[in-house]
Amino acid sequence: MTAQGGHRPDPGGGGRAASAFQTLRQSARTHRAVRERNASAWLLPNDGTRFDHALIDRMRRYPDGDEVDLVIVGCGAGGATLAQRMARAGWSVVVLEAGPFWDPDTDWVSDEAGSHHLYWTEPRVISGSDPVPLGSNNSGRGVGGSMVHFAGYVPRLHPSDFRVLSDHGVGADWPLDYADLRPSYERIEEELPVAGQYWPWGDPHSYPYPPHPVGGNGEVFLRGAAALGIEARVGPVAITPGRFGNRPHCVYRGFCLQGCKVNAKASPLITHVPDALVHGAEIRADAMATRIETDPHSGLATGVRYVRGGREHVQRARTVAVAGYSIETPRLLLNSADRRFPEGLCNDHDLVGRYLMVQGAPQTAGRFAEEIRMYKAPPPEVTSEAFYETDPSQPYVRGFSVQNISPLPITWAEHVAAQGHWGEDLRAYMRDYVHWATLGALCEFLPYADNRITLADEHDRHGLPVADMAYSMGDNDRQLVKAARTAMEDILKAAGATEVITIERYAHLVGGCRMGRNATEGVVDADLRSFAVPNLLITDGSVLPTQGSANPALTIMALVDRAALRLAEGARSGLRAPVRDTGTV
Amino acid sequence: MAARPTPPDRTAPGGRNPRFPGYDVLSQRGTWDAVTAGVVLARTGPQPALRFFTPAEEAVAEPLLDHLLAQWEEPRVPVLRMVDARLAELQTDGWRYTDMPEDPQAWRRSLAGLDVDAAARHQGAHFADLDRPHQAGLLQAVQDLGSDRWHGMPAGHVWNLWTRYACTAFYSHPWAWNEIGFGGPAYPRGYARLGIGVREPWETADQAPRDPVQRDRAPRGPEGDGT
Repeated sequence: MTAQGGHRPDPGGGGRAASAFQTLRQSARTHRAVRERNASAWLLPNDGTRFDHALIDRMRRYPDGDEVDLVIVGCGAGGATLAQRMARAGWSVVVLEAGPFWDPDTDWVSDEAGSHHLYWTEPRVISGSDPVPLGSNNSGRGVGGSMVHFAGYVPRLHPSDFRVLSDHGVGADWPLDYADLRPSYERIEEELPVAGQYWPWGDPHSYPYPPHPVGGNGEVFLRGAAALGIEARVGPVAITPGRFGNRPHCVYRGFCLQGCKVNAKASPLITHVPDALVHGAEIRADAMATRIETDPHSGLATGVRYVRGGREHVQRARTVAVAGYSIETPRLLLNSADRRFPEGLCNDHDLVGRYLMVQGAPQTAGRFAEEIRMYKAPPPEVTSEAFYETDPSQPYVRGFSVQNISPLPITWAEHVAAQGHWGEDLRAYMRDYVHWATLGALCEFLPYADNRITLADEHDRHGLPVADMAYSMGDNDRQLVKAARTAMEDILKAAGATEVITIERYAHLVGGCRMGRNATEGVVDADLRSFAVPNLLITDGSVLPTQGSANPALTIMALVDRAALRLAEGARSGLRAPVRDTGTV
Repeated sequence: MAARPTPPDRTAPGGRNPRFPGYDVLSQRGTWDAVTAGVVLARTGPQPALRFFTPAEEAVAEPLLDHLLAQWEEPRVPVLRMVDARLAELQTDGWRYTDMPEDPQAWRRSLAGLDVDAAARHQGAHFADLDRPHQAGLLQAVQDLGSDRWHGMPAGHVWNLWTRYACTAFYSHPWAWNEIGFGGPAYPRGYARLGIGVREPWETADQAPRDPVQRDRAPRGPEGDGT
């Protein structure tokens, strides 16, 4: 079932006939089963506009004083998925989202500089020996979260990702296995939905939709990989080819990272929020959570304090889920310190904020005589996971994936300026834009305790301490970046590049409240419930103990899908405190 | 450079578009959605007057930005005003390096730093008084410091701050898109011609596909043109 091994020229999956059959069966399936469990795509308008305002006008609204079944902080990949699942299960749900309720028609533009408002730009401090710039590629804001402007790549983790510590003596093991997550991966892939070729790496699998046509940049990648005998495949991307519900076909406009005005690229705003709303969830936008309220006698969470319209409110709830992502979730817990938890909520074992991870994301561009025009087509197109697993012949453990990415002019200028070019030199390079193709790697950086979120001395406009994010790379991390750079340079040169230039950067954020088998190992268990406060869950990317070389959105949604199922199974019917599991799952 | 026979192109920075002559992405604005068109066209209209930079800072910031982007001739992308507006409106990315002040303060300090450098190396002169090569020399000196400190800040972070703001402003402007052949906004129409060596009917082919690496390399810096 699971395929292991590092760089193989053609992994071939589970046999050609089986792969073909699986692909055919999946692509022949009707939408009915998806629609029955999540009708979001059918609740979008079918008249050329992109969001049905009646869904918001008719949204159920709960008074603060009502004790709802569940209040969720954050409406991104984790929060929105949980809201949809629990509303479907009959729970009363309120989601507090710090940013606005986006309307793709009026709030998003096909423009880089004009999309600045999609990022979390509240003050933060970055420190450590390798400080990680924040903003565009690792933060989100508003209903839909950072998936609003994510590239759309949705690869799964590999089975080996769940036991990095056992296999290599570094990093961490997860308190669950790949097999525990597989059904959730499959469900989410159908709901986004995902388009791509049969996937031969990790646990080989097919995708519900066929791959998209590739633009010049993707062609370059495929050409170079083929010349070197490196397997590369088209996908997997959460972008509709053909029609899905009332979501139309992608128009290949290339502005995936600025929010999809087409409704072709998935984000929770269109994949889970509409269904959550018609099942009674309230999404309270522009509401900044400031503190999780707890009852000192019972030790349970009682609700969330938040600021909206300049006024402070408390939404009472029987269960609280925090889904603010790897910086705001730890910050909220640390800012919720009380007498029982003087070092921050759920922080008895000094784990909150620690083991934060980013992926090393070096970006290598190559110059071609032909016109590539990499700004066309979605930037996510082609991927290779041939370097994903540990290669015993290398001095480092774990690996990286390679994907094509397609910088638009401003991002491309950063790439060129990072080479030291300025003035006429910069302009000359930039005028050559249409001749360049770009690849990006995602390197699996390992979790370290000192990479962490703490509270800075500085305060935001709410008077709350802002987050300080400390980040330093380890030796293994540096070796991975170097290896990834070499691999990308080789691929581009094999495709005919006459010059290659690389910038070192980071992408994604996970960890900071990692899951573990017990309270000394993690902040939450495999069901995403905190060990310290039984009715408090953390349902976002901060729970990942390791990150693999995969973009995290799909895994975050899959973890929450699984956690939601277990929450719905066990914790309704008046139980304020969900029953804890004994041992591992 | 030799004399240029072609009349100035009013839709390219500096009036020249050697690679994509005549290409004007704004000619496609009728195919853009109204919200995007509004955002892009606003950049070609009047820009707000300076609010953030003091006159002394303006005197340094203007030549600094001209150097970073080699903007020596009209029409110019109004980069100074665009940067000023961002700083006045605190439209920053939010984060700051622990060893740097917030962006607006870092701009003020770094501009003052250039004046201090100018005075120290050129007998009390202001940065704005220096000729172009001497100004470029002072900027090159900052870049060459790398991660060393410069007026209390890591020089690399200052350089990054300058180029980030300068490039974001310049390459958000449709004239700059014309110069690089970028197709611009494409919603709702989308792109239909995907792949190597193909173009939409309204896109212009590169007329001078010269590899920037292959050409005779002038020393790095802003002095290739406009002298």
